[in-house]
Amino acid sequence: MRKHILIISSLLIFILACNKDSDFLNTAPKDILTDDAVWKSEDLTLSVLADLYNRYPEQQTITNWAEYTNFDEAFPSEAGNYWRTKQVDYPYDWWNLWDYGYFRDLNLFVKKCRAAEQLSADVRNRFVSEARFLRAALYFEEVKRMGGVPLILEPMEYNFSGDPAYLQHARAKESDIYDFVIAEMDTIKAILPDDAGIKSRATKGVALAMQARAALYAASIAKYGASTPTVSLAGGEVGISADKSTAYYTKALAAAQEIISSGKYSLYKKKTDDLQDNFASLFYDKSNNPEVIFAQDFKLKSGKVEDWTLNNQPWSSAEEQQGGRVNPSLNLAQLYEKLDNTYSPFVTNAGSDYVYYNNPLDIFAGRDARLGGTIILPGTKFKGVPLDIWAGVMYWKGGQYNIITGDNFGDQDSIPVAGAPKSSQVVGADGPVDGLQFSAQTGFYVRKFMDQTVGSGQIGTRSEVWWVRYRYAEVLLNAAEAAFELGQNDVAATYINQVRERAGFTIPLTTVTFDRIVHERRVELAFEGHELFDNKRWRLAHKIWNGETISAADLVTNIGKADKVNTMIYGLWPYKVYNPGNANDGKWVYKIVKPSNVTAAHRFKLGNYYSQIGSDILSNNPKLIKNPNQ
Amino acid sequence: MKKRLRIHDLILLVMRISVYQLLFATVLSTIAFAKKSDAQEIFKQKISLDVKQQTVASILLQIEQLVDVKFIYISSLVSSSRTVNMQVKDQPLGKVLDDLLTPLKLNYQLSGRQIILNRLRGPAEGFMAVRISGIVSDDKGVPLPGVSVKLKGSTTGATTDATGSYSFNIPEYTGTLVFSYVGFNTKEVEINGKNIINVVMELSSTSLNDVVVVGYGAQKKESLTGAIASVNSTDIGSIHAGGTVSAGLAGKIAGVSFRLSDGRPGASASIQIRNMGNPLYVIDGIQQDEGQFNNIAPNDIESITVLKDASAAIYGLRAANGVVVVTTKRGKLGSRNTINVNMYRGWQNWTRFPKTTNAYEWMLGKADAEMNQYGHTAITPDEIEKWKKGTDPGYKSFDWYKFIVKKNAPLTQMNLNFSGGSDRINYYVSATHLKQYSVLGREFTFERTNIQSNVEARVSDNFKIGAQINGRIETRDQPGVPGGDDYWEARFAILRNTPIERPYANDNPAYPNDIGHNNENWALQNKKLSGYWRSDWRVLQTNLTTEYQFPLKGLTARGLFSYYYANEIMNGHEYTYDVYTFNPSDSTYKITGGSSNPYRERRNRTILSPTVQVQLNYNRVFGAHTVGATVVAERIKRRDLSSYVHSVPTTNDLPLIYFSTMDTYNDVDNTEARLGYIGRVNYNYANKYFLEVSARRDASWKFSPDKRWGTFPAISGGWRITEEKFIQSLIGHNVLSDLKLRASYGKLGDDDVGIGAYDYLSGYNYNASTVILDGKAVIGSSNKGVPVRNISWFISKTLDIGADFGILHNKVTGTVDYFNRKRTGLLGAKYDILVPSELGYSLPSENVNSDQVSGAEASLAYAVKVNDVRFNIGGNISYARAKSLHTYKPVYNNSLDHYRNSVEERYSNTFWGYEVSGQFQSQEQINNYKVNIDGSGNKTLLPGDLIYKDQNNDGIINDLDQRPIGYGTGKNPFINFGINLAVSWHGFDARADFSGGSGYSFNRNYELRNPYQNGGNLLADIYKDRWHREDPFDLNSKWIPGKYPALRFNNGGHSNYGNNSTFWLIHVHYLRARTLELGYTIPKNILSKAKIEKARFYINGYNLFSLDNMHHVGIDAEIVDDNGLTYPQSKYVNVGFELSF
Repeated sequence: MRKHILIISSLLIFILACNKDSDFLNTAPKDILTDDAVWKSEDLTLSVLADLYNRYPEQQTITNWAEYTNFDEAFPSEAGNYWRTKQVDYPYDWWNLWDYGYFRDLNLFVKKCRAAEQLSADVRNRFVSEARFLRAALYFEEVKRMGGVPLILEPMEYNFSGDPAYLQHARAKESDIYDFVIAEMDTIKAILPDDAGIKSRATKGVALAMQARAALYAASIAKYGASTPTVSLAGGEVGISADKSTAYYTKALAAAQEIISSGKYSLYKKKTDDLQDNFASLFYDKSNNPEVIFAQDFKLKSGKVEDWTLNNQPWSSAEEQQGGRVNPSLNLAQLYEKLDNTYSPFVTNAGSDYVYYNNPLDIFAGRDARLGGTIILPGTKFKGVPLDIWAGVMYWKGGQYNIITGDNFGDQDSIPVAGAPKSSQVVGADGPVDGLQFSAQTGFYVRKFMDQTVGSGQIGTRSEVWWVRYRYAEVLLNAAEAAFELGQNDVAATYINQVRERAGFTIPLTTVTFDRIVHERRVELAFEGHELFDNKRWRLAHKIWNGETISAADLVTNIGKADKVNTMIYGLWPYKVYNPGNANDGKWVYKIVKPSNVTAAHRFKLGNYYSQIGSDILSNNPKLIKNPNQ
Repeated sequence: MKKRLRIHDLILLVMRISVYQLLFATVLSTIAFAKKSDAQEIFKQKISLDVKQQTVASILLQIEQLVDVKFIYISSLVSSSRTVNMQVKDQPLGKVLDDLLTPLKLNYQLSGRQIILNRLRGPAEGFMAVRISGIVSDDKGVPLPGVSVKLKGSTTGATTDATGSYSFNIPEYTGTLVFSYVGFNTKEVEINGKNIINVVMELSSTSLNDVVVVGYGAQKKESLTGAIASVNSTDIGSIHAGGTVSAGLAGKIAGVSFRLSDGRPGASASIQIRNMGNPLYVIDGIQQDEGQFNNIAPNDIESITVLKDASAAIYGLRAANGVVVVTTKRGKLGSRNTINVNMYRGWQNWTRFPKTTNAYEWMLGKADAEMNQYGHTAITPDEIEKWKKGTDPGYKSFDWYKFIVKKNAPLTQMNLNFSGGSDRINYYVSATHLKQYSVLGREFTFERTNIQSNVEARVSDNFKIGAQINGRIETRDQPGVPGGDDYWEARFAILRNTPIERPYANDNPAYPNDIGHNNENWALQNKKLSGYWRSDWRVLQTNLTTEYQFPLKGLTARGLFSYYYANEIMNGHEYTYDVYTFNPSDSTYKITGGSSNPYRERRNRTILSPTVQVQLNYNRVFGAHTVGATVVAERIKRRDLSSYVHSVPTTNDLPLIYFSTMDTYNDVDNTEARLGYIGRVNYNYANKYFLEVSARRDASWKFSPDKRWGTFPAISGGWRITEEKFIQSLIGHNVLSDLKLRASYGKLGDDDVGIGAYDYLSGYNYNASTVILDGKAVIGSSNKGVPVRNISWFISKTLDIGADFGILHNKVTGTVDYFNRKRTGLLGAKYDILVPSELGYSLPSENVNSDQVSGAEASLAYAVKVNDVRFNIGGNISYARAKSLHTYKPVYNNSLDHYRNSVEERYSNTFWGYEVSGQFQSQEQINNYKVNIDGSGNKTLLPGDLIYKDQNNDGIINDLDQRPIGYGTGKNPFINFGINLAVSWHGFDARADFSGGSGYSFNRNYELRNPYQNGGNLLADIYKDRWHREDPFDLNSKWIPGKYPALRFNNGGHSNYGNNSTFWLIHVHYLRARTLELGYTIPKNILSKAKIEKARFYINGYNLFSLDNMHHVGIDAEIVDDNGLTYPQSKYVNVGFELSF
């Protein structure tokens, strides 16, 4: 027995003694890569770079739909977001961005990748250039929102000395940041692949596109900033002197023309027999799309999918019990011109009577193809299911029209007219029902970026439609704007007409005006994240969102004017006429309606032009100065 | 290929070993019983004889044939002429021989299987001339096995057998017998010439607490110097409150705060020791997680001990919040085999759930609300009348509560256990099965099967081995419902769905209705339409122990190897389904929606945790000095592996997951490692002065290698004043029977300081994102950030001063304690050095902040017997509240910031909001009111609306007017109390346990606050007692006051509803009946014919009523969710029985 004890105790002692305490405590992590491992492997370096791509900064995108409903493009048809149309003032700290953590990771990447001798020079250079592209994109986004920010291009490290003064950097001039972005693109465009087939990583094409956009922004801030002299800081952290505008416009035009003349990109025209469809498919057709320059890509069954279609699918074809969140506004819809290049509101009344349409779609006939390409209109189909958008039944009784409607999708009720069926549908299966979330409360659903594929509206599947960040049409419009501002009106017309021709216009514009430039961008680039920043750089934002209430009558006047007040969202609701025996029975009439949840007129104050720098950021660095008018 | 022992093999090996252990032990015990190989067993064998006028020799011969023994004697010893009569039935051999041989003055002795007869010598040399015997039982007449019976002043004695009987030889029938047994008062009986002495022993009022399990050992209660409390198996066994152990601990232990905020089948309570945070659980010596603690079968628990103060320091790095030590049952050496069957069946109903309105009330309220908000409504009085009538098609009210909640959900628990022991081997083997249904239909269930097998064997005189194996299968089975929690939608539906919505189109059960928000349509929430979700945990914990008694007296060595294996398989499948709309014009059902989101998921998770302990103990008494020492080395590893797969199946019918439909695969594999070295020394002088010093040096894998180690010392002392002569002479033992003052102080650790396991490493987190580059999915890696190498343990120092006392012969016993735990070195930022945000990272937190929890607790127990009635009354109360002490050099921008955000020297968990000073009584009052209440010049206000106090007198109500108005919500109560009563009379017994809490707040919000939240139903309480106009359709009619403001439809932003205020905050107090039980034990004399040892029947209620201030809201006092949608606790009515054979 004693032997056994000896064996067992020695065994136990052995178990304890066989590895040291420190060995026992060291459990290797299984999902952490060390620096050593990363910088010798192309794949792992790409993995780090990929995550940097993933943090690309943006404001409105298809993956945060609610941001589209802050202004005048769309109404938020989700109960939790009605506050957006009830809020008068934009908070000063909206859209602020101070992402120096991202800068640090980008700077670290640039530094470490440059030193990664074990990677081949080509690979290394491309990676470094991509990181520089992303870093420039972040500075561009910073300057758009904040004005000049400290320009830091090396990763900093605090030495715990107790004196952090050496880490404090003052804000650069707004123009310095634009100059940096422009210069960086000049450097890296030669290194990045010149391949229009690459859409999801940096290429020469997107470097030039970003350069053109950045230069255009800087130019217009220089030019139009003169109209808002208080939106500036003495040190140039905010505001660019007007004399710089020409140089920037010239740079913008040159960069845009470099893309145009390369011939590597062109407007998407695969479906010329249906221009609406053509315009819509430009955004979801990922095979050999000649127009898309740079996009955030998604892929089914990879874990990287987006939910724009899930969030915005029309109720009647919805694959879940949700959708319809972004409801494009009548304000936007009526901007789409008639094909004779004229502006016109949708015709709802003829004198005191309604105008009766045989088909709900008829009221939209003869317009810019981009209307139907951007917005799902009543009377069209989505995923093969006809839209059922109508607000109620107008029945004739007692010498006047009365309205009966329901409070849920496709509600049934009995029309209180003798001889009417006991029960019939009194509201569209897609709405609009005022205040009912997911219903088309403006009478419209959004079409841009919507995915036709079965399953794209399912939570478990979602969509792989990409988010287009740069495309050729914008390059043309950038070129047009720069040329226009440089006085080259013909050149501007050439470029703008290419875009309009694709939208179905047959009569080219001969002269280009500022209103035209603004208008064309609004209709072409709706729901692509340009709205806020364009209106800021043109210093239009405080004019069009001036806090003044607008009436339905205000809405339909001055269409196409760049500074038209646009503070409240309106909708256009179809009604079905019930008047048996009358010629108009079964026809459609329209009313301009302001959804009840639109209660505030948006007000963009001068202090909103540059977002507020957080008080913690200011107190952490005494060299920073506040933005103006806040 | 290199052959290595992989983890799977190891598990198998361990399982095999444990199975062999078990087999081995079982076989051994079987052999022991079969062959009766030792003296005691041989003499215990029962024989029957019926002989008349036979010689002793021939009787011995007959015995030889009955029992496998051989008698050896010189024939002259047994006179051949002497004949005797003998009539015995089922008597132990020993007794038969005594009866037979004693009159012949013969002595016998066993050698192997031979019994040698000798002539009795004179009573010298401790010769025992006479035999004394008897039966020992408890006051209910249940025989007590294992009672030690000794002749006072000698070493002579015996232990009672399974029938409670004892017998041994003594020199003569004089002197005193001393009966002692754990948990019973020691009894002394004068022999006074009797040869049979039957004794009834009384339960000691300190009950079974005589020996208390402490860290790495056990101590006599009288020598405890720490704040240690425990509950025993009787207490735990009588609670029939559903699945988990924690759910039954309400009000049982002073200093343990309790909140069972979710009462679904298998739910567990949040228990905290002195509100210090999540405690550490130790089960049979092994540090375990909360899940393992909760899911031991309550029947298998011998005791639960709570280490509340520095006595927990022995567990080192995870013990700062106290330790719960669980010991499972063991068989007793030398006890008879007992088979116990316990079974009960219960019926559950929700304690409370908010009541809602019917369709008429709903519509009328809506009209009311619309008139209030807009001044007009589309609802007509005609319509209201139709709803009131409720008979016209389309105007019928629907009661979703009745539709969803089914009464009397059953639960059943069965337990079967075997225990017993020979003098070498003891065992306890048990199996328990629990099945609990939910009131939500019958498809939401919880089911658990536990086995426990504890076997110990004394292999040689100084070497013991043991195996404790516990295993379980734990199943949660329910319909798969969209959303994170399958139980949620059902409850949400009751408040979300309106009484004008109906589950089936045209009330035809074949067609689930499209109600627009069909996730809440209960008609779909079943396994047939919606899918299923099921999680199975399979757990096996095996502890193998060895114990060696060194030749040096008092020195033992103990080794323990434990392997914990837990595996979860979760499968969920949510189906696609259609919902219909009925078209009355042509009587058709049209599919108008549904779910087309097939969702299939599976998780497979395995936890592997080996623990090794090597321990040396030394315990020795030198005269009045008792010395004890313990040294332990311990190593614990825990590996947590899991994989999660999600797919989008193409059909509801195929449950398998295919690669082509899979879109998520997550793989996790983490390992934790901790180790420690422990030393403890105890000393006591004459059971009067006690001192204990311990220290543990621990290390955790979580910290940077140079910050890993921590040392956790503790010291405690006690003084039993009542052992002092002068006190005894001053007060007398009868009045103050026992008083011990004690104090403890120690430093404890917690490696859960708020950093991740590898924060000290630099590098990249792989799989931080998925990015599609060039059409391919690339796994992204993010920079981990600046490594955190400066963080280490925070220091937790616990002081406890207490006293244990007994009064009136210990009929009244009690404990009081004061405690204070201070923690320093909590993580916090150093704000005095401001680094620019442009640095890109914030400076890592450092160990700079501090907080404390302090409070007091007391418990009192009184046991008395009046005639045949025995009363036990006990109660406890505790107070424990946390407070933040200091943060590192706090900076405030202004005095408001200071007032609002400072935590310096403030109680934790305060609730901020507006103070409501009243309600507007008239429109005129609103018009003249100077303070802007609603932010829009009071335009939105109506009579009945809330008036907020303008604290800063600036004429507008905004954040600046918020004040601390309540305690923390969602926290455990900081005052907890319990009352336990027990009465027994003959076979009847009754008990009543109450528990209560106070010192927390409930903030009514969402559904409980906003009328028509989400456009859904309206709380009946808010409807019935609201400000409203006499004629809802007439804006000029008179206002009728009520308790609640006038209704608004789904307008949570209104000033009445959008602000937290005293109007909606409730300071909760409750006292709740936990167990109410009435039992009857069938008298022994009836049972013995049926060979039943014990039979008890009982009826038991749990949670039957509660006295609290949440009645009017219709919610359970312990729920957490401020919308009232928590699954509340249930009332249980149980009937059951216990049988022992």
